[in-house]
Amino acid sequence: MHAVSIDSPRPAGAAAPSFAAVAEELLDDVYGYLLYLTKDWAVAEDLTGETFERALRRWRKFDPRRGTARAWLLAIARSAALDWFRAESRRQRREQRAEARERRPESSFGEGLSPELEDGLRSLTAGEREVLALRVVLELDGEETARLLGMSPTAVSTRLHRALGKLEERMRRHDPVA
Amino acid sequence: MTPSPDLIDELQASRPVAPAALRARVRETARAPRAASPWERFRLPVRRVAVVAAPAVLALALVSAGAVGLSRSSERDVFSDAARPVEDTPQSVEKETLGATALGAPTGTRDSATGRAQRVSATLTVEVSDSDAVSDAAQDAIDLTRRLGGHVVSSSVTTGEQAAATMTVRVPVGKVQQAIAGLSGLGRIVSQQVTIDDLQASLDALERRQASLRNQVARIGARLDTESLEPEERAVLETRLQRLQLELRELRRGITATHAEARMSTIELTVATPEAGVVAPAPSRLERTLDEAFDVLVWEGVIVLALAIVLAPIALLGLAAWLGQRLYRRREDERLLST
Repeated sequence: MHAVSIDSPRPAGAAAPSFAAVAEELLDDVYGYLLYLTKDWAVAEDLTGETFERALRRWRKFDPRRGTARAWLLAIARSAALDWFRAESRRQRREQRAEARERRPESSFGEGLSPELEDGLRSLTAGEREVLALRVVLELDGEETARLLGMSPTAVSTRLHRALGKLEERMRRHDPVA
Repeated sequence: MTPSPDLIDELQASRPVAPAALRARVRETARAPRAASPWERFRLPVRRVAVVAAPAVLALALVSAGAVGLSRSSERDVFSDAARPVEDTPQSVEKETLGATALGAPTGTRDSATGRAQRVSATLTVEVSDSDAVSDAAQDAIDLTRRLGGHVVSSSVTTGEQAAATMTVRVPVGKVQQAIAGLSGLGRIVSQQVTIDDLQASLDALERRQASLRNQVARIGARLDTESLEPEERAVLETRLQRLQLELRELRRGITATHAEARMSTIELTVATPEAGVVAPAPSRLERTLDEAFDVLVWEGVIVLALAIVLAPIALLGLAAWLGQRLYRRREDERLLST
């Protein structure tokens, strides 16, 4: 559950929340988003730490009139994640052979998820997991998600339906009776 | 395909929770005093700077135009008597606008102070009350010119509601001072301008050429008189002598005309009623300032426009490069996220 104080538009004259309060309140959201995006808890933790360090450096520039603190932090998290994806891509190209890659342990996307759903989530692309995390898990609305991802709300909706469809399909394969 | 509500519920119920170690690390980060970069305090917020700078530049342009306009209008006050209605008495006006060099010269072709031949011309505009006064003033001007030994070159008098008279008269240079004083007394002086052109340089050149031609003519004449020449040679010399004599005659005419030009001054006189509109009202100091300021603003606009024309292609290239890079980056992100 999100605190209203940070996620909703602040009434005029209200005191601005401190960075520590924002970080405390939105840490799970940022971590969850990065975990869905990277499929790797260790990487998600590193990127979460980096996100909050970057956010602290830019905190003075944050303007609540231009968006919520959550959208602002998620945008920083996305930028950090994309940097990581780029670095990973370069590293993989350097190594050339997929066999040489270090196999990371499979991470859980959250406590209480069924193994079939975990498996289904892993089968999705990073982009599909990202939209799922934002729209379903973090419950951002379509407009906010579209702004964050730099695409149209229709494209967000299409990608979300595709991701959910894939998950449904995967679940059905695991449990043909359902 | 409609996703199962169970699936969504399961995803939402199992939201990832940050581990305690990560929470502690983030808390530490958030509480740590942030070391401000030394450059940060000098970094100006672009939007705020733009909001302040745009009106400041505009104000600077207006103020500079106003200042330049004000100073130039003052310069006009000092140097341009012709554009300003003259309220002084005719005598004092003459002393102000006409130098002793031009007007203190005795009758003759040369200025007594410098000894140089000069062409003196004057333009004078006077305003009278009505149509009758225009006719009277025109007649008085003609009488005055004749009395001073001059003559009328041209004259045009229009009577009626918008009465006006324009005339060109020539008076001896030595009498120009008297002439202007007399003509100024015909009405209220609105403008007057005296122009002096130096004729001495061209007169000297003509006289040098005349001396040279005389020498040549004398030498050829002597040869023709004393030497026994071949018929062909004699014919050549005689032809040359005729050409030189012709040129000499032309030269003498030119010298005479120049002397005449220097001897007589030309005065263009306009007499008009205020309704005639011949006399343009002299602009006030404020009007002149605004006029000059507008000129400066126009020039500033021209400079800005020129800069915009020069910089626009560069800006467009920069914009295209930025858009291209952004598009490439977005596609690259999509590619990375599609794995």
